[in-house]
Amino acid sequence: MRIEFQDIHKYYGRVRANAGISLVLEPGRIYGLLGENGAGKTTLMRMLAGHTQPSRGRILFDGESVGRLSPSRALGMGVGMLYQDPQDFPALTVWENFRLGGRRRDKRNAIQRLQELGDRFHFRLPPEERATELTVGERQQLDLLRLLDLGANVLILDEPTTGISVTQKETLFAAMNQLAKDQGRTIIFVTHKLAEAEELCQEILVLRQGRLAGQLLPPFRSDELVDLMFGSESGAGGEAGPKLQPNKNPFLSLEHAQLVGEKYALSNASLSIRPGEIVGLAGLEGNGQELLLRSLAGLTRVAKGRIIMGGEQLQGLPYVRFRQAGIHFFPAARLEEGLFPDLSLVEHFQLAFPTARGNPVERLSEEGIRRFRIHAQPFASARTLSGGNQQRLLLALIPKQIKLLLLEHPTRGLDQGAGKLVWHHLAERCRQDTSLIFSSADLEEIKTHSHRILVFYNRRLVADRPSQSISVEEMGRLMAGQATAA
Amino acid sequence: MDFLALTLAGILSAGAPIVLATLGETLTERAGVINLSLDGTILLAAMTGFVLALLSGNPWLGLLASTAVGATSAAAVALLGLALARSQLAVGFILTLLCRDLAYFLGHNYARQLGPELPVWSIPGIRDLPFVGPALGYQSPVVYLSLLLTFFLWWWLFSTRAGLELRAVGEQPWAAFTRGIRVQRLRITYTLLGGALVGMAGGAFSLAVKPGWGRPQGAEGAGWIALAIVIFGGWHPLRAALGAYLFAALQVLGIHLQELFPMLPASLFQVAPFPVMILTLLLVNVGTANWFRDLTLRYPGLKKWLNRWQVTAPAALGRDFRPEKEA
Amino acid sequence: MFSKTSLATSLGRLVAALVLALVLTTLIVLIAGAPPLQTLAILVVGGLGSAAKLAQAAAVWIPLVLCSSALLLTFAAGLWNIGIEGQIILGAVFATGFLRPFPDGGSFLLVMGALMAGMIGGALWALAAGLLRTWGRVHEIFGGLGLNFVALGLTLWLIFGPWKRPGIASMSGTEPLHPTLWLEALGGSSLSPVSLLLALTVFLLVAFVLSSTQWGLRLKAVGQNQDAALLFGLNPQVRILEAMVGCGALAGLAGALQVVGVYHRLLPAISSNYGYTALLVAMLASFRSQIVPVLCFFFAVLNVGSIQLPLQLKLDSSLAGVIQGVLVLSFFLVQGFEERFRVLRRTE
Repeated sequence: MRIEFQDIHKYYGRVRANAGISLVLEPGRIYGLLGENGAGKTTLMRMLAGHTQPSRGRILFDGESVGRLSPSRALGMGVGMLYQDPQDFPALTVWENFRLGGRRRDKRNAIQRLQELGDRFHFRLPPEERATELTVGERQQLDLLRLLDLGANVLILDEPTTGISVTQKETLFAAMNQLAKDQGRTIIFVTHKLAEAEELCQEILVLRQGRLAGQLLPPFRSDELVDLMFGSESGAGGEAGPKLQPNKNPFLSLEHAQLVGEKYALSNASLSIRPGEIVGLAGLEGNGQELLLRSLAGLTRVAKGRIIMGGEQLQGLPYVRFRQAGIHFFPAARLEEGLFPDLSLVEHFQLAFPTARGNPVERLSEEGIRRFRIHAQPFASARTLSGGNQQRLLLALIPKQIKLLLLEHPTRGLDQGAGKLVWHHLAERCRQDTSLIFSSADLEEIKTHSHRILVFYNRRLVADRPSQSISVEEMGRLMAGQATAA
Repeated sequence: MDFLALTLAGILSAGAPIVLATLGETLTERAGVINLSLDGTILLAAMTGFVLALLSGNPWLGLLASTAVGATSAAAVALLGLALARSQLAVGFILTLLCRDLAYFLGHNYARQLGPELPVWSIPGIRDLPFVGPALGYQSPVVYLSLLLTFFLWWWLFSTRAGLELRAVGEQPWAAFTRGIRVQRLRITYTLLGGALVGMAGGAFSLAVKPGWGRPQGAEGAGWIALAIVIFGGWHPLRAALGAYLFAALQVLGIHLQELFPMLPASLFQVAPFPVMILTLLLVNVGTANWFRDLTLRYPGLKKWLNRWQVTAPAALGRDFRPEKEA
Repeated sequence: MFSKTSLATSLGRLVAALVLALVLTTLIVLIAGAPPLQTLAILVVGGLGSAAKLAQAAAVWIPLVLCSSALLLTFAAGLWNIGIEGQIILGAVFATGFLRPFPDGGSFLLVMGALMAGMIGGALWALAAGLLRTWGRVHEIFGGLGLNFVALGLTLWLIFGPWKRPGIASMSGTEPLHPTLWLEALGGSSLSPVSLLLALTVFLLVAFVLSSTQWGLRLKAVGQNQDAALLFGLNPQVRILEAMVGCGALAGLAGALQVVGVYHRLLPAISSNYGYTALLVAMLASFRSQIVPVLCFFFAVLNVGSIQLPLQLKLDSSLAGVIQGVLVLSFFLVQGFEERFRVLRRTE
């Protein structure tokens, strides 16, 4: 089936996600949809899948308009979309997930069909298991089989390689090739990773700031793609942080700790941190790095072992004591966990710096707003800020004198400029002897900014190395459990 | 033996309206919607059912009217809480007070009158069995209905395609939406259906279990108990019905206690279930508290014991769903 | 839970809601077979028609304002303190208990003591609901509601048990207090100037605390986002308990005032459902504390006026509650439609 986008625009309130996109997709090909975070890739695909409607423009299937696209109508046209976080039902079993919204089948029939399809692509999924027991990669495979069962001949995969292992990735790519070449289906592979797009696709579409910036055929040239993605002021990677002072002694240590979270535990973790040190945490979601950050912040339990800071044992103490000791936690979910949606910027400053009263608070806020380049009025509510501004507000609210800053995905969802600004501020903190521990899904970011890198696999700490002695590729292998730590 | 059978018959009868209300609310909450208005809705439905039965002389018409009142009250929850995205808790609470006052106001002139009741059915085959006969053989139709509905909903929720979709909508509405399931429409449907069952519970009170109308009717507080039993029942029809019958057993026990302390007012015994309700909710919820988690790290046996009681609510319970907002 | 809007918008919505509520009420009165105009006239005249009626309405206004102000604290912290009924009752119980050892009366200091006792009683009952929530993970709607019924049971047990009147135990309550322990009322009414002053002071105090103090800001922060409040070191669990205790103390004060100022004894229905009515007021005000006193007065007039309904038209007095409920629902309806309309306009 041939798909044609005609002059697609999409607005969310005042925010423009897509502007004037027109393009044609032919059957039997694998398309790469490339662009940095916030370029409008997911929005465009959501419109094709009927998950949201364009503000203007139309989508034609084999030259015909089908009217307002709803998810069921899009599925009826054979369009299926796989999300980065699989859109499934953790509380339900695998076969129930497979059947939901699918063809009418009884349980036996559904399980049989699931296994039949799974065998074809070498996916092994236990039908009676609850979806919550599966890895992200397996849940993705399940969703893919469900769409194939529905007869989807246009498959959208949104950042499918983010949460999965290297082996799972290879299996997925093989399946995608098989689907396009042997069965003539259209595949749209949404990603911000150049190498993957170049490896897999027959055509690459690049989006920048909601517009179609380019449409390329092989052979692809990486520098050209980068130019199209980021515009002229590109130059990926970013500057490295300040050098580590060699002669300083560790001020904080974690000794043989067993950390217990909501869903899982991390055993026998040991670690010590020196002033001004930057430690990057690599690992697939749910493999232990989140738990380490939250435990060091005093937000989750330490069942065994000790956390020692400046001679004082912190384990078992309430969160407020960790804060008093100079530890600060910086959450990934900004509006959900970090800010008060309906309170103003000034009120945030007042809460963060309670000793300043009255007028000084307003002065403080204005200074913070200027210094951190927050584009908003002091009395605007946090809800109305863009992602980047929310992130800078959170940075501005970090107290002056802190010893350890724990960050979850400090630049997730930010464009490159905003990300650079974040690292600029963080580097400044390090020069004042604040230590940093951060997690990120972007291995380049970890490699660039860390002095030391910890890798997590299977809820264990599998490597603890100086940054210069580990490559991005090796990190990837360790994260997938393919090598043992030195 | 006969005494036991008759007590059991009393429990089945006293429990019937609570079972109906609990099943109705379980259905609604499985779809991710909280209808907090039960206590008022039951009264308004009880009043309407009684009055219509009185005026028409037909108790079945009364029961039908009760059901319609329950669905209407739920429609208000659906309109304000779903279509217009107001707080479901706020709307439900206002309706609780409003429906109760409306029942007293409109039913004022019909209080303490003798009206028709639903007939007692005797079931051939069952009524002659030893023990089972006296317990189950001669009951009001609402008793049989509550028993049948319990098993029907259990089967329907866990073994049918529609039941699967219902659970999906209450768990992950966005995921359900992307699969082409009409989330809002299903939520509204189950809010109305659940409300209808709640209304039927009101009719079961005024036309069978506590026949008649008055201020107080005697069904006051039952709605709150039903809401608590939904939680205790872990949103599962069988466990919820079990909870409702346990509560009815307590009530029957209370009547015997009352005979032992004749100097205390009857209304004192009506509040007795509420401390039990608080303790029950404590039992099923405390496992998620941090201090309790610490305790279970030290005494794993405690966790094992308590795990049997723990419940998890539908993940999207009480949350507004708008596809445009999620995107 | 509620979004911020300007005072003018809130008032505009209120007026629209009032009109809608009037239409719906007329319909309901017609269903009951009563003449709508006459019914409404009785309500208004019954609540405003004479100095005595006005004093009566003011006497109802006092507990309503106290409880609505109290609820502003818990609403700010994002809590549904339905347990406020029980907190009023416990205030009345503690005040009565404090004064029982003095059957021959005493000085004004004793009355003050009784008010303090009432505040402690209400605060303790609220603390129980708060602890159930923070420590037992039982939602405050269920914890509070259960405790309301327990409070009612406690009152009944006291009136028919340990505190019963010599000889006869009845629903008419405990032995009346000695007249020196009554709050002085304006000639012939049950309106006490001291209570009036207290209610006004409490309202202003709460409004100030919420708008201009660090503690008030912290409560609002906890109400908006508990996770963020935790990260900001605001100790949300403790703030929740504080808001509950503050609310309970003020509700307890209202209960104690009902004992020393209005009924002069403990009655089974001492709270007169004022707690639930105040919840409606607080929702209608949606955080606009300025309009709380006005709304309370309107509700008080309805409550007092409705007493005339059974006498003059053989209607049940619960019509007051019906109108109040319909009004809040209408307000939500207007608010909801308006927001829907605005969203539609924006997307076009």
